[in-house]
Amino acid sequence: MRIRPICALAATAATAVALAACGGDDDTSNGDTTAAQETAPSSRTEQESGKTTPAGPKPKTIVVRGGEPVGDPPELEYDVGNLVYLSVHSDVADEVHVHGYDLSREVPAGGSVSLSFTADIEGIFEIELERRGVEIGELRVNP
Amino acid sequence: MSFLPYAHALVSRQDLPIPAWLFAWGASIVLIVSFFALSVAWREPRFERQRWRPLQPWLSRLALGLPTQVVCGAIGVFLLGVAVYAGLRGTEAPDRNFALTFVFVTVWLGLPLFSILLGDVFRPFNPWRAVGRAVGGMFTALAGQRPVHLAYPEALGRWPAVIGLLGFVWLEVVYGASSGVAVGLSPHTTAIAALIYTVYTLAMMAVFGVEEWCDRGETFSVYFGMFGRLGAFGSEEGRLGVRRPLSAATGWATVPGSAAVVIASIGTTTFDGAQEGAFQGGIEQVWEWLLDIGFGNVAAQRISGTIFMLLCVAGIGLVYLIGVRGMASVTGAPSLEKLRWGFAHTLIPIAFAYLAAHYFSLFVFQEQAQFTYLLSDPLGTGTTDLFGTASGGIDYRVLSANAIWYVQVGVLVVGHVTGLTLAHDRATAYWGDYRQAARSQYWMLAVMVAFTCFGLYLLSVANA
Repeated sequence: MRIRPICALAATAATAVALAACGGDDDTSNGDTTAAQETAPSSRTEQESGKTTPAGPKPKTIVVRGGEPVGDPPELEYDVGNLVYLSVHSDVADEVHVHGYDLSREVPAGGSVSLSFTADIEGIFEIELERRGVEIGELRVNP
Repeated sequence: MSFLPYAHALVSRQDLPIPAWLFAWGASIVLIVSFFALSVAWREPRFERQRWRPLQPWLSRLALGLPTQVVCGAIGVFLLGVAVYAGLRGTEAPDRNFALTFVFVTVWLGLPLFSILLGDVFRPFNPWRAVGRAVGGMFTALAGQRPVHLAYPEALGRWPAVIGLLGFVWLEVVYGASSGVAVGLSPHTTAIAALIYTVYTLAMMAVFGVEEWCDRGETFSVYFGMFGRLGAFGSEEGRLGVRRPLSAATGWATVPGSAAVVIASIGTTTFDGAQEGAFQGGIEQVWEWLLDIGFGNVAAQRISGTIFMLLCVAGIGLVYLIGVRGMASVTGAPSLEKLRWGFAHTLIPIAFAYLAAHYFSLFVFQEQAQFTYLLSDPLGTGTTDLFGTASGGIDYRVLSANAIWYVQVGVLVVGHVTGLTLAHDRATAYWGDYRQAARSQYWMLAVMVAFTCFGLYLLSVANA
């Protein structure tokens, strides 16, 4: 098997690209500066608990007005294994549904509801008002 | 109202974009492997002949005999019937209705997978072919002669299948786009579409003949048959045999419109991936412009989606044609038309790689649903439990993000290598001199590197 010079050159170039890219991989996740990273609790936290609010970290809030999210639906970013603590304020009554995790919570008109769960599934999940079929947020769980 | 990103109504979860470092690694591996492949290039074609060997006669009888054909055909008709019935009478929630997952995931994504490994497995299960053959058989029995058909126009080729393929994906991705306004493709619409397609297909079979229409015009036969050409099993003159994998693809694109089929496949998958990231800005701009003109929200979304889908298909076609034109410039090249037809099959592995990269995770998750609550409760009533599996559900933890990323990159690399293999093999057959053949392959190499790296790029910016 003869290795032609151009092949050797191309292979070297490609390897160089790979090494360069490898060296700069410190910005894989957490590129979204608006995401406040929650530290993972040492013990496995309870699953959905609307009542027990973890002390300390504030919930990320989504505001719904007239059945629509105010502004663009926010992207809420977490690392896998961390605690997700959300609060939805809505002036209309509906059911807040987190897809994938399949968590639902009723929000009263003019009131708010909070969800707290461990982000143990990686991916991108829609948060929507189930009855209206409106997306109010996006949950992103990074590995 | 803010423009919300498209989402399939079926999908509860979307993949994270592949990270930049994996994209770079994937692209580098693609380049390294490509140049390595060029340097170890073989000089005589290895895949032009199928080397078909018959299997044991009892196995052949079992697989191809009339009882098996009747049973498989009946299964196909039954499943189509269940899907249509579920679509018409079942819940309108897309994720709880058997019809949507069965048609758009189990069949549309599952059959290519089985086909590339095993051959044309759709053919015995094709419900329209089964009905057509049954009707034809009854006619022959009653009339005492075989039905007379119109000769299929040669130039029409596989173009009806191209239209069908574009229409199918358009229905799923553009018409059925969930935007916060529309719910997505409804089971009812799916059932109506299936019924319309059934009437159309049976009519065409009556006019041109069952096998002729299946070979050229019937969308699903052509589409799954295309992938089946890579598979290891094939039948000759009523006997089942095993053949060299990939070798049956070399004779696939002899029918007009074949290149368009594989290009439409890559183009529509590209569009579905690009609308979530790469082309999202462009689609938004066209949508806003259409709104300004006066179109309604939903109409504007559908028009902008249609425009971009067609642009994607045209773009993929253009890249392929540039590669063909480049090959034509190398000394000793055959005619432009012969090149265009002769290299179309080399894109089939890339078409499958695109499908697998974009839909692998959806397939794994939705098949969990297919065999649990969709199987036992196909109408989504909430109270039925036919097989005892209705309480099961989708466990999204079976696939980590890393596992999905490695599969996506891996399948694109393997598809790339397979495409290169077929292209190089065809070049050695067309060019007498192996050095000219190798020189001509720089063009196809560039085309395939472009497709594969573009596929990686789409994944790296999807949902970013």
